[in-house]
Amino acid sequence: MSIAMKRRRATAGRVRRQFRQSRLGMVGLTVLGVFILMALAAPLLVDATELNPVRARQAGNPQWASPSEFSPLGTDHLRRSVWAQFVWGSRVSLFVGLAATVLTILVGSVVGIVSGFVGGRLDGFLMRITEWFLVIPFLPLAIVLASVLGRSVWNIIFVIGITSWPSTARLVRAQVLTVKQRLFVDRARSLGASGPHIVGHHILPNVSGLILANATLAVPISILTETTLSFLGLGDPSAASWGRTLEEAFVNGAMTRNAWWYFLPAGFGILAVVLAFTLIGRTLEEIANPRLSGR
Amino acid sequence: MLTLVFVLVFNFFLFRVVQTDPVGSLFRGRNIPQERLDELREEFGLDEPMLTQFGLYLRETAQLNFGYSYQSRQDVWGEISERIPPTVILVGVSAVLSAVIGTLGGVIAAWRRNSWKDHSITSGTMVFYSMPDFWLGMVLLVLFAVVLGWFPVGGMVAAGSGETGVSRLLDQLHHLFLPTLTLTLAYLGEYTLVTRSSLLDVMGEDYLTVARAKGLRDVVVRNRHAVPNALLPVVTLTAINFGFVLSGAIAVEAVFSWPGLGKATADAIRGPDLPMLQGLFLLFSAAVIFFNLVADLTYSWLDPRVEEA
Amino acid sequence: MSEPLLSVRDLSITYHTSGGPVPAVRGVSFDLEKGGSLGLAGESGCGKSTLANSLLRLLPPDTDVTGSITLDGKDVLTLSPGGLRAVRWTAGAIVFQGALHALNPVQTVGQQIAEPMLVHNTAPNEKDARARTVDLLGRVGLSAARVDSYPHQLSGGQRQRVLIAMALACDPRLLIADEPTTALDLMVQAQVLALLDDLKQERDLTLMFITHDLSVLTYACRQLAVMYAGRIVEEGPSFEVFANASHPYTRALAAAFPTIGDRSSRMAPSGLGGDPPTPGNLPQGCPFHPRCPLAHDACLPEEPGLRVAGAGRAAACVLV
Repeated sequence: MSIAMKRRRATAGRVRRQFRQSRLGMVGLTVLGVFILMALAAPLLVDATELNPVRARQAGNPQWASPSEFSPLGTDHLRRSVWAQFVWGSRVSLFVGLAATVLTILVGSVVGIVSGFVGGRLDGFLMRITEWFLVIPFLPLAIVLASVLGRSVWNIIFVIGITSWPSTARLVRAQVLTVKQRLFVDRARSLGASGPHIVGHHILPNVSGLILANATLAVPISILTETTLSFLGLGDPSAASWGRTLEEAFVNGAMTRNAWWYFLPAGFGILAVVLAFTLIGRTLEEIANPRLSGR
Repeated sequence: MLTLVFVLVFNFFLFRVVQTDPVGSLFRGRNIPQERLDELREEFGLDEPMLTQFGLYLRETAQLNFGYSYQSRQDVWGEISERIPPTVILVGVSAVLSAVIGTLGGVIAAWRRNSWKDHSITSGTMVFYSMPDFWLGMVLLVLFAVVLGWFPVGGMVAAGSGETGVSRLLDQLHHLFLPTLTLTLAYLGEYTLVTRSSLLDVMGEDYLTVARAKGLRDVVVRNRHAVPNALLPVVTLTAINFGFVLSGAIAVEAVFSWPGLGKATADAIRGPDLPMLQGLFLLFSAAVIFFNLVADLTYSWLDPRVEEA
Repeated sequence: MSEPLLSVRDLSITYHTSGGPVPAVRGVSFDLEKGGSLGLAGESGCGKSTLANSLLRLLPPDTDVTGSITLDGKDVLTLSPGGLRAVRWTAGAIVFQGALHALNPVQTVGQQIAEPMLVHNTAPNEKDARARTVDLLGRVGLSAARVDSYPHQLSGGQRQRVLIAMALACDPRLLIADEPTTALDLMVQAQVLALLDDLKQERDLTLMFITHDLSVLTYACRQLAVMYAGRIVEEGPSFEVFANASHPYTRALAAAFPTIGDRSSRMAPSGLGGDPPTPGNLPQGCPFHPRCPLAHDACLPEEPGLRVAGAGRAAACVLV
């Protein structure tokens, strides 16, 4: 056991080292770190009451003020500080993105591992379902589900998870099949190892790298989906994400007024976070599969 | 084919689960006497057992009868079919442009791998791919239509202009420009990335060295031998994407008030106009299934290694 | 004495990889007379394929190549791109190894054979090129119908013949065959060898044959050169070298492959222990000494050069 442990720790160390060498990967990690810090420290940065329109009016904030008139990012149609919305919006966007991805990865991995490992009719059946989900257009399905289920953060997380798990499942299953073909799994079997043991000690370690890389690249999709769903009016009214900010900006005519300070920050926030995750994910992919980068 | 069946079943159950009282919703806010409502319920077969309702549903779907929109009180299929051409135009043009430009970018990026061309193409498209497509639309709209005034702010034609013929066409193109630009930029990235990695795979193959050994110019080797092999997966991707982009334009159409299926969906969500949503969902799903089929057929026609079943 | 068709002097080739520079070929020199045949033998990694590819400058652009290669009177290494392209396939052509990967999967076999004819204008138009292609296919023993087949529709042996036909498309003076019989079964091997021999006679080709199978070379080539760790370690007339090797490595190679028809050699195969050295990491002195059964102190510290070992023979061993 300790040999395997040592090897795993060595691999983790190697990955860490190679990651640090990648400039783009580190940039992504840094940017992400900044945003996560901001999201976590939100209550310290901006008081939550600033999001309350009643309080905003009482405070005498101007309406539609540009950043030069009301720092740091101006106000919206309800006199609320855009900066406050930006900081607090990051919490929802990041949370939903991460939670939805966790759900996607969990369901996808379990289905992929079970399907690949057990094989046979169960595999056929699960793959049929997976294929079916893959064919259904993603956004309309999400819209339909969200409309039907109602507007809440947990529903959104559920909807994104439900629509995204198939591609993870397919990837994981393919990897499991590759690992299964390797001799040592057969040897473990002949030694009398049980199914769960094989899965835990042999399959999982060889699949976890792929799952990690896939997860990092799945977060951007979750975030962008949540943003789009919120923009279309399916977001949780009590938990305003960046997507929600964009919706409010659009619906209340921020564009015709050229109130750029209202919708630019939220969009940049999404862009930055998504890019960060993409950079990290691609760096991880390159580490796992060196052929992608050099010769 | 089986998938279509699944879609139909899914559609049916999903909406039946939600619509506890479709007739009531239809006439919400109107004063209709109870007996009339009951009559209508009977007419729509809502008091029948579930299986009968499903049969009714199937028959109606085959006849393209999707019921009536809550919001407009019009026939759903009528509303939807009106919206199809604008979306097809917008999505069609954008899909073709992003496929062509994206693929070209991918070819250049791969052939000159790790050069400044490669890096700028790859990072540029990655940035565009990482932003919400409708946000890009908002930015472009504000910049070019509101601030600079070069383009109209929305819609497909200038309202009430009554123009015809060429000037009308030009007006439509004028309106088409920004939303098309948005969609094209947003979806370039996928083509670039796939083409690039496909071409990189091909570049390691021996037959390229053979081609060079025969005395061909570098560009000829690339275009005649490398690219056709690399394009095979890209073609499949393009065909499949046509199906998906149809539904991907929902938010962008909303931003530009483009009178297509996307905007109809966005409007239907605000109802919620369930019959509309149901009809639109079926249409989107059918489109994806259809284009997947097209993709499969195209691939097997293009790749000589695939034996016709 | 007329000029040799191919003359290589002091050729050294160094790859640049992410792991540092790799010297694949280190100071190789040889001549190949018109109408002659030279076999180049050695284990994988000894540099023979690199050498073959370098003759038409087919190596990656950042590879260091020093020395000189003179083919049909032209200095290959200093040719302009246009001049180089003109020389390729017309002065010398390569029959590549690994037949499935050497053919473009989405083009027909006929298209690929005809292509160099049209590029170099040895056929005036497409119809003519097609006719010549059919001719060539017939010459290598394939039916004319094959001209519209795709590579995946042919067997390994058939693909190898296609590659031979393709190499002959522009009537080259030098034919370089890079492992043409590897991965083919014995029957097909014999057929391909016979074919090459026929073609050589009929078209007065100069042949360069590269393989790790020494017994094949003795049948197909008059001259033999054995490579190890990027250098030629023995050369001479093939029969003599095979029957009576001067260099211990050659001896081991010759013993490792049973001679076709000689039952006693099949009964006592001898494999060489150990692995060939990695090009970037050569042992001190004679690169073969770690695996050599006759190694002794004189084998270090310097690498022995080629010493005369008989009439027209040379070997790089201190024992010569």
